[in-house]
Amino acid sequence: MKGNRRRATNAIEVDFLARLIMLVCFLGLAGLFFVYLKNQQHAVGNQSRNLEAEIRETEAKTAALQARITAMTSRGALQRRLDEGYIRLEAIRDTAIARVTPPATAEADGVLRTASRDSDTRFGPGVPQRVLKR
Amino acid sequence: MNGVSLRIFLVCILLVLIFTGFAWRLINLQVLQHDHFSEIAAEKHSIRKVITARRGRILDRNGEELAVNIPVRTVTADGTHIKDPKALAKVAAPFLGMSENELEEKFSTKDPYVVIRKEVSEEKAQDMIRAMEQAKLRGVYLEEGSIRSYPNGEMLCHILGFSDRSGKGIDGIEKVFDTELAGHEGFRLIEHDRKGREIVVYRGQEQLPEHGSDIRLTIDMGLQAIVEHEIDVAYKELRPVSATAILADPATGEILAMACRPNFDPNKFNEAKPEQMRNRAITDMYEPGSTFKIVVAAAALNEKIVDEKSRIYCENGLFQYGGKTIKDHHKAGDMSVAEILQYSSNIGSAKMSLRMKDADYYGYVRRFGFGEKTGIPLHGEITGLVQPPHRWDMLTKTRMAYGQSVAVTPIQMVMGMSVIANGGKLMKPRLVLSKGEGSAVRETEPVREVVSGKTSEFVSSALEKVVSQQGTAPLARVEGFTVAGKTGTAQKISPRGGYLDGRFIVSFAGYMPLENPRLMGLVIVDDASIGASANYGGLVAAPVFSKICGRAARYLDLLSSGTSVAQSAISPEKP
Repeated sequence: MKGNRRRATNAIEVDFLARLIMLVCFLGLAGLFFVYLKNQQHAVGNQSRNLEAEIRETEAKTAALQARITAMTSRGALQRRLDEGYIRLEAIRDTAIARVTPPATAEADGVLRTASRDSDTRFGPGVPQRVLKR
Repeated sequence: MNGVSLRIFLVCILLVLIFTGFAWRLINLQVLQHDHFSEIAAEKHSIRKVITARRGRILDRNGEELAVNIPVRTVTADGTHIKDPKALAKVAAPFLGMSENELEEKFSTKDPYVVIRKEVSEEKAQDMIRAMEQAKLRGVYLEEGSIRSYPNGEMLCHILGFSDRSGKGIDGIEKVFDTELAGHEGFRLIEHDRKGREIVVYRGQEQLPEHGSDIRLTIDMGLQAIVEHEIDVAYKELRPVSATAILADPATGEILAMACRPNFDPNKFNEAKPEQMRNRAITDMYEPGSTFKIVVAAAALNEKIVDEKSRIYCENGLFQYGGKTIKDHHKAGDMSVAEILQYSSNIGSAKMSLRMKDADYYGYVRRFGFGEKTGIPLHGEITGLVQPPHRWDMLTKTRMAYGQSVAVTPIQMVMGMSVIANGGKLMKPRLVLSKGEGSAVRETEPVREVVSGKTSEFVSSALEKVVSQQGTAPLARVEGFTVAGKTGTAQKISPRGGYLDGRFIVSFAGYMPLENPRLMGLVIVDDASIGASANYGGLVAAPVFSKICGRAARYLDLLSSGTSVAQSAISPEKP
């Protein structure tokens, strides 16, 4: 009888079982990791959606403020303020205006200037003034 | 086969059939009817979200903003998301400027899309959404939008025009360049959750919008402000039916300023009357009167029918022709061409026209650009009225010589006078410098050569004398500058035919500095409320021209006539 019972007992195939457990664990972990990634994807998506909304809101606010600035500084608005006496125009006397003289060119007076804007740059910067020989 | 085996066999067959059915159903759903079910699913969750394009701005030549967009929001509600309309109405009412009852009524709907209020300011809309979030309420959403604003109000209204509430250009530059200003809207295919929020992960196809291009005009707002101010003063003082002023660059045809009275505020276009909205510089024609004498003088000189030394007998101020009497204010015998222009002799002009062949004379009138559209990029331009020779009666030719029996638009007169100012070339009026950032600024090309440089130079020197103390327009002078120009005083045409007694359209067209004309100006005052004895171009329009050009010269820092570059060390000219 004893001998018969021992024969009826199946041996546990540890090797196979370990592989199976490993496979199940691996599949489970892969599934969990997939879910984790999917959640992360949604979370980042939400973040980017909120950020986009904030950017749009800020842009709209900036545009609204710019429009207000334009309206307040427009010629029409300034003229109204001028008429109402809030601002005043002060005439600039001719003597108080500094006019920039157009730079003399080498062609005009024959003098090559190192800092001039002449197109002829053969002499390069740092070269002292010299008179063109004609 | 025994009974047990048979039963096992039948169970197996049954299972096979069941799973075959399942498999077939799966294939049917996932493969055969895939497109159909995808469509249904997409309808439920996917939305084609429109991304609106920003309308381009309108700028002056120096980049000053003339038409801009103000962002606003349209507040909408989704009735399927609203659980407590009363609470929602209480939170939203202070931000929307509506009563709680009115809002509650609107929120008590099962409609998924109800527009609650349009054109709510960005700040108020955002504050409302925040208040709703704090109160943990939902069902109200915001849509992006913008309204067009013209920060300068009435200034330049006839050129800018206006756009309607939907952003479509209705008049002026807004209409002509509507396509360029509007751009193209984009879209994004999105899916949303049950709360209506976008699920970014499932974002689909996306096309970014093409924002509208900025339109840069040739108008200089510094000059426009000067013109607007002076025309305003004249309009209030003289109380005419209308007044028009134009400033242009005669060398390029660029319109620097243009103003008409009456005018309107494009921000409140629905309050404007039709006569306020008319851009009279292009839509109205008038008999130009003596300003038209430049045409016959230039034509006769160019055709060598007269020369600088020719003397024309001016009948001592009374000339009987075709059964009618032509009169001159300045009664004289012989006059040179220059004197005919200086003293504005009708008889001298009529006699010059009679020396020309009909076809030649008509040809010159047309070559100066009269009787055809100038091509200014604005809607509503008319051609004016120039009758061809076969429709002339005996008097038409002589009358045309002093600006009767012909009708022109103010813009035609500016371009016609520019022919004399720029050495004989007819230019196309230019109103737009560039469309969109980086677009090339095209050089202007003349439409045609009308008269020779020599002819224009001679007429120019004669027009200088018009502005002298002995001429008809000494009040057009500008201190420090040599001005050339011509006055015009034309009786108003009666709608019943003939002319209206004592009612005149007076004008002055001139340019400066004579040596190198930078400004071409025209001032027209229609039926000023002053006595007929004072209602002359030289007395009414010329002073306005003088004020405009005097201030414009200072604004542009123009070199005074007779001053050499070496003496003044002038600053570079404004662009």
